[in-house]
Amino acid sequence: MKTTSSIISLKKVNKEYLLGDGSIFTALKDINLEIQSGEFSAIIGPSGSGKSTLMHMVGLLDKPSRGEIIVNGKDVSKLDDNQTSTLRNSYVGFVFQQFNLLNKLTILENILLPTFYSRKILDFDPLERADMLMEKFGIISKKNSFPNRISGGQQQRVAVARALVMKPQLILADEPTGNLDHKTGNEIITLFEELNKAEGITIVMVTHEMEIAERTRRQIRVLDGEIISDKK
Amino acid sequence: MMKLSNIYQLVVSAFADFKRDKVRTGLTSLGIMIGVLSVVLLIALGLGLKNYIEDQFESLGANLVMVLPGSGFSGGNGPAGLAGGAEFDEKDVRTLQKLSNIKYTVPIYIHSSLISTADTEKTGNIMGANEDIFSLINIKLQTGEIWTKADVDKKTKVVVLGHTIASDLYGNANDALGKTIRVGGLRVKVIGVAKKMGNQERDGAAFIPYTTTFGSLNPKKTFFAIYLGVASQESVSGVKDEVEKTLLKRYEKDKFSVTEQAEILSSINQIFAIINLVLIAIGSISLIVGGIGIMNIMYATVTERTGEVGIRRAMGATKRDILLQFLTESTMLSLFGGIVGLVLASIIVSIARHWFPMAINLFAVILAIGVSSGIGIFFGVFPAKKAADLSPMEAIRYE
Repeated sequence: MKTTSSIISLKKVNKEYLLGDGSIFTALKDINLEIQSGEFSAIIGPSGSGKSTLMHMVGLLDKPSRGEIIVNGKDVSKLDDNQTSTLRNSYVGFVFQQFNLLNKLTILENILLPTFYSRKILDFDPLERADMLMEKFGIISKKNSFPNRISGGQQQRVAVARALVMKPQLILADEPTGNLDHKTGNEIITLFEELNKAEGITIVMVTHEMEIAERTRRQIRVLDGEIISDKK
Repeated sequence: MMKLSNIYQLVVSAFADFKRDKVRTGLTSLGIMIGVLSVVLLIALGLGLKNYIEDQFESLGANLVMVLPGSGFSGGNGPAGLAGGAEFDEKDVRTLQKLSNIKYTVPIYIHSSLISTADTEKTGNIMGANEDIFSLINIKLQTGEIWTKADVDKKTKVVVLGHTIASDLYGNANDALGKTIRVGGLRVKVIGVAKKMGNQERDGAAFIPYTTTFGSLNPKKTFFAIYLGVASQESVSGVKDEVEKTLLKRYEKDKFSVTEQAEILSSINQIFAIINLVLIAIGSISLIVGGIGIMNIMYATVTERTGEVGIRRAMGATKRDILLQFLTESTMLSLFGGIVGLVLASIIVSIARHWFPMAINLFAVILAIGVSSGIGIFFGVFPAKKAADLSPMEAIRYE
């Protein structure tokens, strides 16, 4: 059993949007959620359920209308943009459905991108770490290629390497297999499983595919802005 | 604190973007390029004209005092002050000759007129003066001889031609010697041709004894100006006062002016400072238009790259990082245009100066570089702000 310290906890988090016609849309309703270090979890729900909004909250990309988000014992919903960005840089690594690599940068430059925005002195050599990750994910030969020259599976590996380069506490994956064929998608999930098991990396994945969600160790179901079940 | 490696990173990334769309980069810079080109050319023109006119005056010699009609240059209203005022005559010349410390007293009659041979005619300046004009403005002869006091006294119909007008009329300047030509209707004999002086006005002049102009050319027997060659630099201001006092006995205060070289040069400088300002202001319009072009493209770029902004924000870029990234791009675009404009302007000036007085100085260079980077920053701020203010969450979902 790994140590179970809390990485992030959401307390009574609400998110409301003002719609064009003046009405209020509630995307998240009184969400209480705690992610422990070493977890491999899935947030599941149909589109429009609020799972993406929830992921944005956990990834510090969005702020709640009400409620607290506690990271490392501090409420981060009150931080300003600079502080939030700095925290996001070191605390979370994102993997997206569309891979979201910058096509004008090489694979290596894409992986190094988060290190450019680091505010602290890194305790590792970014180039060495990027090399190590590319080696591990079998993409070292594509080091100087551009993203649109490699396969979707390879692009997603680059994205995973990019998410890991800052040694974050948490990897957030938004439909990471959504743009991949079944076999390649499987490979990415297998990669996640290995990272979680062997290195204890905390992974939270948003998905609507049950088959993929079942391979995680915790399934959080979201519907209409509320958590309707939380199976460990 | 901005890390040096980050600035390097910003510049490299901006270059990568420019390389992807060379046509757009070129077209965007074009506005600034034309703006800088026109401003630098206009400044070069103003500066060239100023240098040219200064040279013309400086070649007159340092110990020169000029008696001019009207309030002159020193009145503060520029060359316009020359209009109206006293018409000097031989009596003035005689009066001034009696003053001490004056080496030469030269009446000057100037009239632009046709100068013709049997088969050609050119426009030139008739310059009527006494024999001291040759010493006063240091005219050296290439061939022939100058006319003398005796010629002035006898109203001899002789002429010493400037080099340019002589060669314009005869092809070879030396061929003019001994010929009879018509100067403003007067038949005169060419007895000398001057060496080239490098002063357009004098190289194109026909020097004749002032007495010879009396008659059909100059029925009133008046002079435009009287030039005084002062014996030494030290006595210039004393002579000026003395001349002024003497002339006041005959003319009202604002009908004439006594001016020395230095004063004229300083009023020329004043005039050209204003001309330069006006030229810069006109050129600046195209710079502003160029800046708006950059702003336009940067706005389009921001929309186009919303996804990129989202990715960078998700990776931990702050608003300030995004702002700097877009500002770097707009500044580099503008600076690029500015440098190309400056180089083009230098090439044009170096070619055009063979026909026209033009010069580029450090001020123009600093202005071009400074203004183009300033424009890049100023017109880049609004689009960059827009990019920085994008919500990271929405930006990343933007397709």
